[in-house]
Amino acid sequence: MNKTAAKITESVFFNRSLLRMTGVSIVIGLVSFIILLSGKHPERAWQAYLTNFLFWSSVAQGGLLFSAVMQVARGRWGRSLTGPAEALAGFFPVSFLLYLILFLGYKQVFPWRYMELGEKAAWLNLPGLFARDTAGFLILYGLGFIYLYHSWAFRLNRKTDAGKTREYLNRLWNSRSVDPDRFRARMTLFAVLYIIAYAVILSLIAYDLIMALDPHWYSALFGAYHFVKAFYMALGVLIILASILHMNPQIPFALRPSQFHDLGKLFFAFCLVWADFFYCQFMVIWYGNISEETAYVIARTMASPWRPMAWLVFIVSFGIPFLILLNRKIKSNPKWMSLLSALVLLGLWLEHTLLIGPSLNPHVHTLQLGIFDGLIFVGFIGLMTLVVASVLHVLPELAESRISEGS
Amino acid sequence: MADDRTIMGIFSDEETTLSAVRALKETPWSIENVMSPIPSREIADELSTKPSRVGYFTLAGGIIGFFTGFALSAYTALQWQLVVSGKPIVALVPFFIVGFEFTILFAVFGNVVGLILKMKLPDYRGLADHDSRCTGACFCVVAVCPVSDEQKLLNFLKNSGADTRILS
Repeated sequence: MNKTAAKITESVFFNRSLLRMTGVSIVIGLVSFIILLSGKHPERAWQAYLTNFLFWSSVAQGGLLFSAVMQVARGRWGRSLTGPAEALAGFFPVSFLLYLILFLGYKQVFPWRYMELGEKAAWLNLPGLFARDTAGFLILYGLGFIYLYHSWAFRLNRKTDAGKTREYLNRLWNSRSVDPDRFRARMTLFAVLYIIAYAVILSLIAYDLIMALDPHWYSALFGAYHFVKAFYMALGVLIILASILHMNPQIPFALRPSQFHDLGKLFFAFCLVWADFFYCQFMVIWYGNISEETAYVIARTMASPWRPMAWLVFIVSFGIPFLILLNRKIKSNPKWMSLLSALVLLGLWLEHTLLIGPSLNPHVHTLQLGIFDGLIFVGFIGLMTLVVASVLHVLPELAESRISEGS
Repeated sequence: MADDRTIMGIFSDEETTLSAVRALKETPWSIENVMSPIPSREIADELSTKPSRVGYFTLAGGIIGFFTGFALSAYTALQWQLVVSGKPIVALVPFFIVGFEFTILFAVFGNVVGLILKMKLPDYRGLADHDSRCTGACFCVVAVCPVSDEQKLLNFLKNSGADTRILS
């Protein structure tokens, strides 16, 4: 890429209006969080925080999973999409920081601290939880970055030395001359390790940060349900991101309709897998009919005030996409797919609230969701957009599609 | 027609097949059939084929299957009414699984029936021209030309990288 082209694309990704927009939304989110925190029910603020932290971290983790899976499965059709998917991984450091901040609200976020836990106390205690989850995040993100280090060695134009990140990366790559074949083999190895860590550590996060909020309830499949959902969400965000890049004529990123079609099919498949994993748990709980298991499901799907929300989640994140995604033309159309993905993501954000809300607000009669929750969500959207735009600004090669590579 | 020749070119990969199909479209000769071991959107686009209607048979099969599975479970449960731990006789949650399994099964049946009907099988006439490579790993392009152009078409296909066979 020559210098003028680099300049044009840089201003496309990262300009004043974007900075202003994301800045305003982050401030709105932050102010909403502080208002809720200083109100009568600070647990509401932490509920919104935990929901958004899990939601956006999952998107980043699932985004990198897409790239790792493509690498391991040698999926040529999605090679162009791995760049934007890797840009989502730029959220990893932010996610880790958000995770640390979460512990400031430990009094509200971990209601089991005030409960009789019996033998479970050996697992559910604050120092233990902090130690294992911190280690988990560090391993997952560490493996992710090692994978990216190998992936970017092939992707980035090493002659460009603009910016500190590039300088640093170039210095790393140049400090040792590595055989490209060996480098590629190591990239695959770390992709495999990341995939394994993704399954194990996202399960751990699901058990510790979502399921344990109601310490008397358990479902063995909950971890798998969470990481499948994370990939479903990541595919939704990837569709939106790819569509935005595709529709902007100034960015050298263009996909064929067949590539959108394939991505749509994968999105559809994970819509089904997600619903299936829900049903697998629901079915077992329904058959067993043990009160300590059913209470969790009844509170969320059959009792007031959460019941309408459960139906909304089901319709928006499963019913509507299931019917619409049967259509091939819509799957190949970036505009319609972005709209549908946004709807599904909204549904899944509500689903996170549905899992967390009743645990943090027991015995309530009104829906614990308001305008401020929405505004905090907007703040997090701004944060994610800012991160992705900054990554693409520094590494514009991530938003370059190579038509010849796809098939 | 009697004064026409049908010639088959057998290709080993998608790229050469695609370029041969493109080049053939520029000639006065016509393409009768293209067989591919994989669903190739590029070749289908190039030939501007109509979308297959087999999918509707699959969909109909799936919908019929769902209700059949559900009805079968309900019918059998009602024949021998055994209440287990207070569950209803006709229980929606587990019967849904049977419905789901039947959806898949009947969708497959619908698909096969659709294929048979739409392709007008069995077709014994086609067997004479059958080449096992066309249903194996190769791409086959069947083209028709006047008898006088036979050698030209053979050369054209050979130059495109194909093995050739004269069918009729």
